[in-house]
Amino acid sequence: MNDSFNTSHYDNGYGQDEYMTQEDEWDRDLLLDPAWEKQQRKTFTAWCNSHLRKAGTQIENIEEDFRNGLKLMLLLEVISGERLPKPDRGKMRFHKIANVNKALEFITSKGVKLVSIGAEEIVDGNVKMTLGMIWTIILRFAIQDISVEETSAKEGLLLWCQRKTAPYRNVNVQNFHVSWKDGLALCALIHRHRPDLIDYAKLNKDDHLGNLNLAFDIAEKYLDIPKMLDAEDIVNTPKPDERAIMTYVSCFYHAFAGAEQAETAANRICKVLGVNQENEKLMEDYERLASELLEWIRRTTPWLENRVPEKTMSEMRKKLEDFRDYRRLHKPPKVQEKCQLEISFNTLQTKLRISNRPSFMPSEGKMVSDIASAWQGLEQAEKGYEEWLLTEIRRLERLDHLAEKFRQKATTHETWASGKEQILSQKDYDSASLSEIRALLRKHEAFESDLAAHQDRVEQIAAIAQELNELDYHDVAAVNQRCQSICDLWDHLGTLTQKRREALERTEKLLETVDQLFLEFAKRSAPFNNWMEGAMEDLQDMFIVHTIEEVQSLTAAHEQFKATLPEADSERQAILGIQNEVQKIYQNYGIRGNVTNPYSTISTEEIVVKWDKVKTLVPQRDGALQEELARQHANERLRRQFAAQANLIGPWIQTRMEEIARCALEMGGTLEDQMTQLKQYEHVIIAYKPNVDKLEGDHQLIQESLIFDNKHTNYTMEHIRVGWELLLTTIARTINEIETQILIRDAKGISQEQMHEFRSSFKHFDRKKNGVMDTDDFRACLISMGYDLGEVEFARIMMLVDPSATGVVSFQSFIDFMTRETADTDTADQVVASFRILATDKPYILADELRRELPPDQADYCIMRMPPYSGPGTVAGALDYTAFSTALYGESDL
Amino acid sequence: MEVLRDSRGWTHVELVLSGGAPWGFTLKGGREHREPLLVTKVEEGCKAAVAGVLIGDEIVSINAVPLTGYRQEAISLVKRSHNALTLVVRRFASLPIFPCNAKLF
Repeated sequence: MNDSFNTSHYDNGYGQDEYMTQEDEWDRDLLLDPAWEKQQRKTFTAWCNSHLRKAGTQIENIEEDFRNGLKLMLLLEVISGERLPKPDRGKMRFHKIANVNKALEFITSKGVKLVSIGAEEIVDGNVKMTLGMIWTIILRFAIQDISVEETSAKEGLLLWCQRKTAPYRNVNVQNFHVSWKDGLALCALIHRHRPDLIDYAKLNKDDHLGNLNLAFDIAEKYLDIPKMLDAEDIVNTPKPDERAIMTYVSCFYHAFAGAEQAETAANRICKVLGVNQENEKLMEDYERLASELLEWIRRTTPWLENRVPEKTMSEMRKKLEDFRDYRRLHKPPKVQEKCQLEISFNTLQTKLRISNRPSFMPSEGKMVSDIASAWQGLEQAEKGYEEWLLTEIRRLERLDHLAEKFRQKATTHETWASGKEQILSQKDYDSASLSEIRALLRKHEAFESDLAAHQDRVEQIAAIAQELNELDYHDVAAVNQRCQSICDLWDHLGTLTQKRREALERTEKLLETVDQLFLEFAKRSAPFNNWMEGAMEDLQDMFIVHTIEEVQSLTAAHEQFKATLPEADSERQAILGIQNEVQKIYQNYGIRGNVTNPYSTISTEEIVVKWDKVKTLVPQRDGALQEELARQHANERLRRQFAAQANLIGPWIQTRMEEIARCALEMGGTLEDQMTQLKQYEHVIIAYKPNVDKLEGDHQLIQESLIFDNKHTNYTMEHIRVGWELLLTTIARTINEIETQILIRDAKGISQEQMHEFRSSFKHFDRKKNGVMDTDDFRACLISMGYDLGEVEFARIMMLVDPSATGVVSFQSFIDFMTRETADTDTADQVVASFRILATDKPYILADELRRELPPDQADYCIMRMPPYSGPGTVAGALDYTAFSTALYGESDL
Repeated sequence: MEVLRDSRGWTHVELVLSGGAPWGFTLKGGREHREPLLVTKVEEGCKAAVAGVLIGDEIVSINAVPLTGYRQEAISLVKRSHNALTLVVRRFASLPIFPCNAKLF
């Protein structure tokens, strides 16, 4: 059964002019082509008969048998399936006309315009009219209702032909005349619908007659389509009659369409049944799927609604994975299923609706709405589940994170806190010094700030623990325990810290007090120590005193010192008291550690020892002073003794000196007289010596007693000694002078008068009368004697008379000077001149010359003493007699 | 330049003699005789005179060697000199003397 409409050959040449064309043809066909008439007659007759045979009648002659209208009406009834009005049974013309009219009216009632067809013509047997009328009937009842793809009637029929013959290459139906001439179209039509009836491939396209006849035969035999056409007619006619062809082809249409209809009907039924079955199957499927789906939803939803959290992340993750699997693997097919379900439902409903069936009502609880709502529930549960999963996972993550954080922080804190307890419980401040305590305090301060800094952390830890509690962490018990222990320890640390601070501060205060005391001790002990040392020194001071007053002042000082002792003692006690206080503090507060004073090196023992020493020294000193006093008294006595003696001897010596001086200056009398006087004095002096000795003895005593001064006399032993010696020397010298003067007088022949003159001159110019002349005196003296002296000359002369530069000229020197000027003595020059004679006028002398002239020992003396001569013209062995001579006279010529 | 004067106008003068022995002056005295070492003669126009040696000068040092006072020592020192002889003498001078080749110090 071919349902395919091949639209490729669709020819839309026939428009809506069908009617008009028909009209034109009808008008033209008033002059009907005899060929056509022949064909039409045959075809129409056959056609009518094919219908009339159902009514059990036939027509032989188309223009005759319809004249009475009865068969016409019958034909119409058969064709339309409707009842016409009862025909008039009569033989009269008007009965015939009435019947034909009835037929015509019927035709007209079927919407056919019968133009220029009247009943009379039909009754009269007008061939053309009758053929026309039959054609009209055929058109109306066989062709008009043909509808193929919205094309109806002639075009529809043509279209149908074209569609059906489309697959046949050598068939091209364009019209209802020449296209059919080769018969292939008919065969094709037959083959199309009933390929079993004709072997189309074996047809010869050139055998038109054969083909046509074959088609006619098959149609008559198997398709119940009587032959309506004549093959020769068609072949021989250039253009076969369209209407005849159309009529015959319309029978094919109706036959196949009918067959098709039957087929279609059967198909329809099959289809309907099939559709039914299908639908039922679909319904079943739907129900089944729906059940399954619902079942699945029912199973799954609780799973999704299960909100029992797992304890660990991994378990939750597993759950999430499961969910993911569900989403990825399990649900999509279900989604698809649901979709499918919906689609099938919709399809089913549509199909049912299309096929005009009642809509599908799923069973209770399996309605689309149920499924939808169940699905919705699922999705909601799902969504809620996913959310819940994620929330849970987040929560667990957070919990894990928090727990980890807690652990970390707790561990860190515990690490920090470990050992702090021990440190805080240390009693290291017991034996610390002040600076150590201060350092400990600083350290403690630092620790306190560290502690404060950690307060935060402890709070954080507690907060985390709290959060863990709130979030219902699975291992929250352990956390709480740890947190608790941390907090407890923290409080404990706090307490310990406070205690330690207090202890440190207390100790610090004590140590500060002690420090102060030490400082005071140091401040007071140092000067006190100094004082004691000074006192000891003073008390042990070796004193050298020479007078009673000195001793007495020392004693007074000592007494003064003794007066300060009580004050010192109290100071001592105060100082020692300080130390005791320190000791007490140490004892009372159990401070261990050094009791040494950092400010002072002086210990109490030292102070005590020194004080005792001082105490012992005091009486010692007393004794010493007393001793000394006694000694001084003794010394005084010695002094007085000495003084008494010295005061006698001193003046005595002085007197003697004056006596001698006077004697020396005495001008009257001879030198011998002077000598005698002097010798007398000498005796006296010598006789007085024992006194001096005695004084010496006293002096020795004094010296032994280490007496160095004597205010009772201006004379020291040295004075006396010196004076005595001077006296002795003076007397000796004076005597010697006199002797010398005597000698000189005798030697130089100075007369007494000369001597007297010298002496009186000397005496005159000895202005100071001290037995000597000073330079001015001497200068004056010389001037008075006629010397005209320049400074230089005078100086020279001074040098001669006062070689020792004493600044004074003695009488002896004066005499020497005066006599030198007048005496004739051997001088160095004279000796040199003498040597020169011996040396025969040479500036040097030779040894053998000396030996020749001088006695051997004097010659040897000269040779030994004479320096070598180094002047011009010197020879070996030359001796310098000039230097030698000058040297003899105390002069050297250089 | 420090002028050494004692209270009575004694000055130390440095004299430079040149030319070599004989210098032309006579020394007398010396510690051997317990006397100061004095110049007692100066020949006219001699090298000593040219240098400014005067009678009465006490020799204090010879060739920068301070003397102990013994004449023998002084003689030895003088004899050691060849062409130049530096004497420091003590001289009584109430007025400053500036001999042409003597240095006052």
